Amino acid sequence: MLPALALFTFVVLVPSGRGVYYAFTDWDGLDPDFAFVGLRNFTDMLGDEDALQAIWHTVLIAVAITIIQNGIGLLLALGVNSLIKTRNVLRVLLFAPAVVTPIVTAYLWRNLLGPDGAVNAVLGPWGRDWLGDPDLALWMIVVVVVWQFAGYSMVIFLAGLQSIPREIYEAAAIDGTGPVRRFWSIVRPLLAPAITINLMLSIIGGIKLFDQVYALTGGGPGHATDTISTLIYKDAFTLGEFGYSIALAVVLTIIVAIASGAQYTVLNRNEKAAS
Amino acid sequence: MKSRKLTAVVSALTAVTLAAACSSGTGSSSSNDNKTLTLASVDQGSIEDVIKAFEAANPGVKVTFTTSGADQYQAQIRTQLSSGTAPDVMTVWPGNGNPGATYVLAKPGYLLDLSDQPWAGQLPDAFKQVAQYEGKTYNAVFGLNGIGAVYNDEALAKSGLKAPATWTQLLKFCGDAAGKGTPAFALGIQDNWVTQLVLYALAATTVFGADKDFDAKLQSGQATFANSQWTTAMAKYQEMFSAGCFRKNPLGTSYEASQALAATGKTLGIVQGNWIIGLLKQKNPAGKFTMKALPATDDPAGFLMPAAAGAGYGVNAKAKNKDLALKFVNYVMSPEGMKLFNEKQGSLPTLQGAGTTVDPGLAELTTFVKDNRTVPFMDQLWPNAKVQQTMLSGLQEVFSKQTTPDQVLKDMDTEYKKGA
Repeated sequence: MLPALALFTFVVLVPSGRGVYYAFTDWDGLDPDFAFVGLRNFTDMLGDEDALQAIWHTVLIAVAITIIQNGIGLLLALGVNSLIKTRNVLRVLLFAPAVVTPIVTAYLWRNLLGPDGAVNAVLGPWGRDWLGDPDLALWMIVVVVVWQFAGYSMVIFLAGLQSIPREIYEAAAIDGTGPVRRFWSIVRPLLAPAITINLMLSIIGGIKLFDQVYALTGGGPGHATDTISTLIYKDAFTLGEFGYSIALAVVLTIIVAIASGAQYTVLNRNEKAAS
Repeated sequence: MKSRKLTAVVSALTAVTLAAACSSGTGSSSSNDNKTLTLASVDQGSIEDVIKAFEAANPGVKVTFTTSGADQYQAQIRTQLSSGTAPDVMTVWPGNGNPGATYVLAKPGYLLDLSDQPWAGQLPDAFKQVAQYEGKTYNAVFGLNGIGAVYNDEALAKSGLKAPATWTQLLKFCGDAAGKGTPAFALGIQDNWVTQLVLYALAATTVFGADKDFDAKLQSGQATFANSQWTTAMAKYQEMFSAGCFRKNPLGTSYEASQALAATGKTLGIVQGNWIIGLLKQKNPAGKFTMKALPATDDPAGFLMPAAAGAGYGVNAKAKNKDLALKFVNYVMSPEGMKLFNEKQGSLPTLQGAGTTVDPGLAELTTFVKDNRTVPFMDQLWPNAKVQQTMLSGLQEVFSKQTTPDQVLKDMDTEYKKGA
């Protein structure tokens, strides 16, 4: 334990701590001369419409992805856990998108969703400017992420489902329970660890989302799909405002910590109550 | 037992995704002899040939180089410079206003003074202004780019329409073209840098045609964006939209997709930089493309075209191999180097007598340059990168009805006044 802790301290904690220091400076990423500005970067954020909007988008995306991806993932898991013949093929097919690099799938979908893309070709007169319409673009990002990672959630749920002993189902069948009751009273509580892991992974992934947003819309049109992560990137690397961008990263870290901490506490309590 | 299985699945999954997400990085560490030059560039597709020719002219010399897109390059070069691992020669943009620009990199002392190189004194004034910082030359700018309307000759002939020569003709041209089912111009503003091109083409004539010293007035605080002819340029951009000049759904169309539209005649042309001609020919090798000034008024004699030095090369002040670095930069600025580079890029040379064969489609741009009827790209003299970024995302918001042109110009004024 001790060597691991030492390694973690020097490789992760110390550099991160030193990084945080820059959040209180006006460093431009280049000039060795920079000044300590106290909390100015953080107070600036409160007046920065782009930042506040990005935080809101991040929350929307994280919540939407968490609910939809896990909902679909669970349904898929229940489906392929049944005794249908093609279940092994289906499992592989449904999981396949998750092993592709997100940036690749995002570029693929960017073409599919373009004005002359396959999606509009199929929809004909009902086609839309999916990624160019600020009211739709954010949801398209959610769709693409869910398309890619629902299979990932499915595999975790599946592992949970398969660890439920067959005898319990049999006992329940003898007692004459229906499928809904069986799901609610047996599957749901015994699946609690898988639910915890899945929710945690998807909420953290959703909050940190960068690749798919950057490749699909670049945060546009305007700032309509900017998330905290894309803003961090733009502020640092296109605008050279490293200090401000690191301050944003600190805020992101705090949001992730609060969200996952709260979720873990609640779900862990449920898990204990269920077992 | 069950939770152990779950843990195993989760960690296996994490490993799979990590493996998929990881890309291979190339850490090029060069040996420190005087025969090896390190270089980083954004000139994908042309620098390779220049390096080959340079190596052939200097036997025994080896150039280790990387190329990347502008966004990625700007991020990389800043990190390398501040950590002392930057290459000897690197792409540097002219003027100010972007993170890899001459002023930005020369100010903290990262670039070597190139003022005593033979070509530095010969640069025309328009280029000196953006290649220098505080009177010293830091940037070997070799090429000149312009923005205008690029027509697909074949598609134009098929439509029976003629390239418009005045603003009134332009609006009629757009209406007629749209009526025939082949819109006038492709517009790929999903990539936000493209949003500025039409605006610059219009502003050259409307803003700088009316007042050549507008930039100086902006700098001294006598003028603002919001109370100037920039409002006219903005209004004309929107008028072009309502006249049907652009193919539908430009906000969902990428730069790449817009090239395909113009190359294959799905639109009659595209408003872009001259570099687009080479790209269009890649997509349609049999095609012929001609660039013309985009009409912004009804007085063709008063038209100006935006034309400016493209990205050039600077030498790292801490270059490991300074002599070879200077040799390379001087090769780029020599007649043969400049000819090779510009012919590959489809740009015009910055120095007289390079003997560059210019694409016949660029005849009008060449004439405008010769007659001194050009204006630098507007952002090259803006004090910080935020002004341009505000304009780029602002224009996307205008066309998706999230804001108004006046608001965008006001926001640009706010950022401009913040200074460097």
